[in-house]
Formats: sequence, structure tokens, C-alpha cells
Amino acid sequence: MEFLSSLISMPWLDYSISGLVIGSIYALMAVGLALIFGVANLINFAHGAVFTVGAYIGWTCLVGLGLPLGVTIVAVAAVSGGVGALIEWLAIRPLNRQSRIAPLLATIGVALMLDQIIHIVFSPTPRALPANIPDWRIAVGNGTIGAIDITIFATAVISAAALYAFLFRTKLGMAVRATAQDDDAAKQMGVNINAVNMTVFGIAGALGGIAGLLVGLYYNSIDPNASFQMMLKGMVAIVIGGMANVPGAIGGGLILGLIESWGIGLFGASYRNLFAFVLLLVMLLFRPNGIFARGKERAAEPMTGTFVTQTKAITLPRPLIWVLIGVAVILPMANMPYITQVMTNAYLYGLAALALTLVSGTVGLVSIGHAALVAIGAYASALLTTKGLPVSLGIVIGGAAAALIGTALAYPAFRLRGHYVAIGTLALGEIVALVILNWEGVTNGALGVFAIPPLEIFGLPLYGTKASYWFVLALMLGMAGLQVRLLKSHLGRTWKAIREDTVAAETYGVSSNYYKGLAFGFAGFTAGIAGAVTAHQWSFINYDSFNLLFSVLILTMAILGGLGNVSGAILGAILVAALPEMFRTLAEYRMLFYGAALVILIRFRPQGLLGSG
Amino acid sequence: MSLFRERAALSRRAFGRIALAAMVTTAAGAHADSPPAPVFIGVSGPVTGPHAQYGAQWKQGFDLALAKINANGGIDGRPLAYVFEDSQNDPRQTIAIAQKFIADPKIAVEVGDFSSTSSMAASPLYQRGGLVQFGFTNSHPDFTRTGDYMWSNNVPQSEEQPLVARHVVEDLGMQKIAVMYLNTDWGKTSKDLFTAAATDLGAEIVAEEAYLGDEKDFRATLVRVRDAAPDGIMLVSYYNDAALIVRQLRDLGMEQTVFAAGANSPEFVELAGEAGNGVHTAMNFAPMSPRPMVQDFVAAFEAEYGSAPSHFSAMAYDTFNLLAAVMRQYGTGRDDIRDGLGQISGLESVIFPEVSFDPETRRISNPSVTELVVMDGGYVPYSGAGQ
Repeated sequence: MEFLSSLISMPWLDYSISGLVIGSIYALMAVGLALIFGVANLINFAHGAVFTVGAYIGWTCLVGLGLPLGVTIVAVAAVSGGVGALIEWLAIRPLNRQSRIAPLLATIGVALMLDQIIHIVFSPTPRALPANIPDWRIAVGNGTIGAIDITIFATAVISAAALYAFLFRTKLGMAVRATAQDDDAAKQMGVNINAVNMTVFGIAGALGGIAGLLVGLYYNSIDPNASFQMMLKGMVAIVIGGMANVPGAIGGGLILGLIESWGIGLFGASYRNLFAFVLLLVMLLFRPNGIFARGKERAAEPMTGTFVTQTKAITLPRPLIWVLIGVAVILPMANMPYITQVMTNAYLYGLAALALTLVSGTVGLVSIGHAALVAIGAYASALLTTKGLPVSLGIVIGGAAAALIGTALAYPAFRLRGHYVAIGTLALGEIVALVILNWEGVTNGALGVFAIPPLEIFGLPLYGTKASYWFVLALMLGMAGLQVRLLKSHLGRTWKAIREDTVAAETYGVSSNYYKGLAFGFAGFTAGIAGAVTAHQWSFINYDSFNLLFSVLILTMAILGGLGNVSGAILGAILVAALPEMFRTLAEYRMLFYGAALVILIRFRPQGLLGSG
Repeated sequence: MSLFRERAALSRRAFGRIALAAMVTTAAGAHADSPPAPVFIGVSGPVTGPHAQYGAQWKQGFDLALAKINANGGIDGRPLAYVFEDSQNDPRQTIAIAQKFIADPKIAVEVGDFSSTSSMAASPLYQRGGLVQFGFTNSHPDFTRTGDYMWSNNVPQSEEQPLVARHVVEDLGMQKIAVMYLNTDWGKTSKDLFTAAATDLGAEIVAEEAYLGDEKDFRATLVRVRDAAPDGIMLVSYYNDAALIVRQLRDLGMEQTVFAAGANSPEFVELAGEAGNGVHTAMNFAPMSPRPMVQDFVAAFEAEYGSAPSHFSAMAYDTFNLLAAVMRQYGTGRDDIRDGLGQISGLESVIFPEVSFDPETRRISNPSVTELVVMDGGYVPYSGAGQ
């Protein structure tokens, strides 16, 4: 009853205004993303980084050089447009004929590099971005809105309108739409599709940069770490508005802003992203074409089997595998605890990557929310063992919990395909992290779980550096062996059949949801064990221990090794864990090299090092 | 050579010093009669990644402290140096770094990491490896509880928040307080301790609003706060969040007195602009303190880096000075340092007039706070009602 009365007495007007203000920022971000998705059928993860580039170019012009605002806007549009075009030329065009997952990963690599360049050039500390903007404010409801709020909203609407006119009223716009529909046909009609793509990325980049500048002015603060959050919100907005629907992106942004704001009014700010991601999931499940779509225009993305690159996997010769295992077993004898620890970390990554390569590679559900499974396993075991359960049992229960809860959570997403699975799982991952943060009674909220007992099995202590290394190695090899066996059985063939053509598999009487569930269950168990062991190794975990970045890292490993490829997943894990360690001497240039290594690997080996299995 | 890696903008003086130090170390290996080998502190902290700004501020404090320590003869004639390993504030990397430091006999003591997640994941390793883990940013109440090798000079919130609550309730006269806090271990702990102390003093807490670390937009939350009709607002925030909140609060037409716990960095004044004027805060580190040690530090910092020192730089500076003092008095062995930390007392630092540790909790005893107000683009000490 109290809730109902607060619902009625809530100052809806004030919340709606604050929702529209933040919503127009999301809209501005979403317009560029929708444009790129429309043409390249790609979620540009580097769009947030372009946003940040725009903010810092704006700072350089306004504060560093003292230029007027008008000149600054032109400079920001030019530079960030150039960066956008450069992204297309460097990271997207060479991957034109590859699966969609390759350019997706390339944009992540580019985003890492751009963010790091900003860090190095401008230092990572947030800066003020003051400007001489008219200082009048209009009272609306009990609050006020100012000139900059209106500027942001107007820029979003005008740019969307201009883009709409460009796409549907000009010849180049027609070429863009033709390329989006069928690039081969467009090419045959004499459209220079490379030029078209570059133009689109340039326009989107310019818009993203201007968004960065305006948002920086609005908050009087620019921050090189804001880019990823901004990109995520823009992505939710385009899912609401319809992935490739440019005017729809405006509506999507505003709706997202309103729902967040109303949600905060009802429940508080700690739940903000929860509303955003639940909304995203609901949209994906019930209106995947966006709320502005008329009927079912593009029911599902026609990309069965094309999301993952098909190649012949490289099978490592058996003797080589045994030699490698032998080397791994005797490695701790070298008495280099640092190397041993890095490899233990790598094998824990490897366990998680094995799980991911099964669902993403073998079954074809590309997941960016894998950290959720690991987190569930870690929390289950940590909470139970701190209450007295033996560690060995905790680890098994952690695996089982991840398998059950993970499969139940992912079940609704089984009917999604391609990008939609990736976005949906990303949302799931964020939702799990936010539930862990906010469910204080069970998870201890922001304080995390402390004093988790160290690794041991039936009283045998395993927390020494060498002992835990061997334990984790054995776990990883055991699970890898099991996975190889499963893949060779009828189960493996069924999974691959579902990946290649779900409709055909269903026609042959394969209940695809059942088999997808089995895959998720097995993968959840493996990932849950990885999480549980990690928790006992660290003795302290909190909601941020397994975050979105971790999910992205695991996906990177699986793709680098070759999606679906068991030995590839392990190789990818070792590379991703070891590369940043090897670049350690580069200090602040480290992530720059890591991003570059990622882009180059994807560029020359999009099917993964060992080929997808 | 990661040891001597510096920020891109290297001052000529700093470069000369580094070159000299590099020559000294190289020479140390070559000749038997050359200066003695340096004593090394291992630092685990973020140089890249989303928390890199803090690592950069640490380095400024460390370098300034080392210049002074080594000019005064180092540790009994041996120069003091440090190895900064980039952890990106990632627990997977802090445990690898921990193994590296523990196995490296030249490391006498470890400092860091930044957050509780990354620091506490490495604590069991340092405890078992017998190397002191000195966390100077670790406010998590459990940080020093892993074992007797975990020490911290971060002010325990259990001591600081009652002081803050007294100031807020008695001096600033807040009776119906709305609290907004960062939903992290630091924010949650501080908020709980503050509300308990303020309630004891007779104030009423009319709203408690948590928010996430990457939040930029507070308008909706502020509508909630406004409708709770507080007569004062307490922010448990970092300086950049605090600046955003204060700006948006004034934009909404809210005129209440604001106390912002984390607004004690020069950047706050810049980021908050006009809206920052009149905001109250408290600091362990007070750059306007008349103590000569503080004034020397502030002057040296401004001369070297061209900006005022932040709280983190001051903490970093203090930490190296403290460890140097411990090593001079009690020796450079790993256990000497652990035992020395429990015994040292009466040491002056830029943050604390007198440093000593409670050997039970391994945290600082009896800290004090300086109450400040933001005015005309700077901080002035609080001087009674009417401000």
C-alpha cells in the first residue's frame, strides 16, 4: 500500500524532465550507433571511445587553445569524424568478408587503444570543461532546465532529422541504404561500397564526438573512463528504437532516460542500470525490431551459421599435446612462483574459456555475459564455505549453482540469434552483478565476502603456489578432456547441427532448446568451478570481481583460439593472461599494445589461431 | 627498466635525477667499492586502466618523498628506490605481482594495491609469504584482518565518521540530513558509521540514497532527496561525483548546506565551478596547515608538478616517509619492518601531526580531521557559523 501511495504522490513531472534530459544524451549516442548498425550490421564498441576523443578535442580547443565554441564544434566534428573513418578503414574493411564476430572484436580492440591514447596524452584524471554558455534557466515543475539541456536535445533531433533526410532524399543516401541491404548487389550497380561505409563511419564518428563535447559541457567534466558506459546506454537505446532505425534511436534514448528516471524515483539510483538492462532483455524477447517497427519486418537476423567463421580446425598432433601437458606439469619445478601464478591464472581463465567456447562456438550463442556464471559459482561456494561447508563440496555446489541458475537465466535468450544473443547475455551479466550488489541480505552487498577459506580438498591443503597450480591444471585438463569426449559423441554433432541451421535441426526432430540447455548446463558447471576456485584463492570477492571487462576478456580468448575449439580456448587463455604480463615493462603503453595485438590477430587470423571447431 | 619509467611529461630535473639513479644502480653491479645496493619498496598499483589516475598521483608523492629521503642519506647510506608494477587494479594481476615481490629478495616491503578487491585478493599470499602489505588507500574494515603482515595508515572510518558527524550536526546545524553515498565498501561503511553517529547526536536521517561509481546523472536521485525535505545534505562521494552532484543540486534550485566527504581535492573546486562555493568538507590532509612539514611538502610539490597536491599524493608521500623511518630505526628485513610498524611512535607526517599504530588493528591511532569550506576557488578552514 505504501508503494502504491508513493506511486501516486510521486512528482512525475520532475522525474520525467530529468529523464528527458539524460535521455537526450543517450539519444545523441544512439543515433551514431544506429547508423553504423544499419550499414555495417555491426555494434561499434569503439563508438564510446570516439565520444571520449570528441570530449578531449573539445577541451583542447576550448581550454587549451582558447578557441570559440563554434570553431570548437567544427574541429571536434572533423577530428572525430576522421577517427570514425579511420576505424572503418583499419578495423572494419579488412574484415568485410569475415563473420560478424570478427569486426565486433576488432572494434573492442580499437576502443582499448583509443582510450589508452587519451590516457597517455591527457592523463587519466577527469578535467573540467567550462565554456561561456548562456546562463539562463527555465523553471519547469519544481526544477529548472538550462540552455545546454536544450542544445543537447536539439542536436540529437536535428542530427537524426538531417540523417533521415540524407538517407532517404539524396543519391548518396540511397547508395548507403543499398549497401545496407545487399552490398554485392550495390557493388554491381556501381556503388563504391567502401566509400559509402567510410562516409557512414565518418558521419557517425562526428556525431559521437559532438556528443562527447556537449555532454562534457553539460557536466563540466570529461573523463576518459566514461566511454564504455555511454556506449552501453546508446546500445540499449537502439535496441529499444530498432537496431538500424535512426529516428527510432531518438525515441529509444528518451524512453530509456524516462524509465531509468522513473525507476530511480521508485527504487533509488543503485538500481539504475538494472532497469536499463531488464528493459533491454524485455525488448529483445518481445519486440526485437524495436517498438517503432511495423509488424514483423525482420523477424530474426538471417545469420544462422554465419556469426561464427567456418574453417577447418587445426588438430594438434597427439604427441605434441602430451609433450605440452608434460611441460605444464613440471613447470612449477622451475621455482618461479611469479610464472607459476600467472599460469594458474591462465588455467582459471582457461576453464572459463572452455565453457564459453562450448556455448558460443559449438552451439553458436555468442555470450558477453559469461562473468555472471563465474560470479554465481564464486558466490555460491564463498557464501556456503564461510558458513562452514567444506571447500571441496563448496566448489562442486558452486559449479552446480552456476549450471542451474545460469541455464534458467539464459533460457529465454535461447530463441535469440547472432547479435541479439550477444547483447542479451551482456544484459544478463550486468543484471547478475547488480543483483549481487543490491541483495545485501544474502551477498553482503558492496562489502563483498571476506575470509573465504583457502583451497583444500578433504583436509589436504592446496593453497601453496605449486599445489594450487597443479590442482587448477588438473581441473582444466579434466574438463577439457570431458568436453572433447562430448563433442565427439552424438551430443556434439547435435550441437553443431543446431548452430549450422536451427530450423533444419528442429525439422529433424531435434529439440533445440533442450540441447542448448544441456550445453549451458555443462558450460555453467565448468565456469562455476572456475569462479569457486578463484574465490578460495583470493579469500575476498565482491560484485566487481567478475565484471563486464572479464566477460569481454573471456570472449576474446575463445575467439583468438578459434570458437568451439577446445585446445584453442586454452591457448587463447594462456595468450590473453600472458600478453599483458609480457607487456608489463611497457608501463602505461601496455594496453595500447594489447589492443593493437588484438586488432592485428583478428585482422590476419579472424577464424582464430587454431581455427573454429 | 620499468623501475625508472616516468610519465611522458618529464621535467628536466626529474630526468637528470633518473639518469643519475640509473647510473648509480648500473655502477653498483659493476664495482665492489661502489655505493651500496638500494633498498627496494615494491608498489602494486594501477598505471593503466580505469583507475590509472590514482596510480599517477601516487607516483608524484613517491618520487617527491624519495628525492628528500635520498638527499638525507637514504636508509643508513643505502638509497631507497621502488619498483612500480602495474596491476590495473585487477585482482588477477595483483596476485601475480604478489608472487613476484615475495620471491624477489630485494623487495623489503610492499605498498598497495588501490581498491579492496584487488588488495585483499593478494593479502593471503603476502601473509603466507611474510612480506608486509602496506595499504594506504584501503579503508575496507577487513583489510588488516587477514593477518599481522597487513598494515594501513588509511584513516579508519570508525574514528573519522564520528568526528565528521559532530561537525555536521553541531557546527553546521543539520537536523534532518539526507545522505547520498557511493555504493562501494568505503561508501557503505562510511555511511553506516556516519548515520549512527549523527542519530546519536539527535539528528534525523531523512534519506539514504546509494549510487553506482560510474554515475554521472543525479537529477532523478536529487528529486528524491528534495522530496525528503532535508535541511542539510551529506555526500559520501569521490571528488568527481561530489562535483557533479553539487552542480546538479544547485541547478535544481536546492539551496541546502552541503557537506561533501570526498570533496577534498583541488580538482573538486575546478569541476564544481561556481556551485562548489560554500560546500563544506573535511580532510585528513590540510594543505593550509601552518606546520612547516606540510608547507615544505606543498611548496616542493607545486614546484615539481605545477599543481596542488591531492589527498592521494599526500598519502603516498607520507607512506614512503613512514616506511623509510621504520627502516632507519628497526632495520630493512621483512620482519623488522613488520615489528617496527607496531613500535614506531611520535613520527610527524604531512597528514597526521603524530603517527603511531594500534598493534591490534594495525591501523592509525587517534586521527584528526581539519574542517574546510570551499570559497572563491579554494579551501579555507572552517571558522564558525555564518559561512
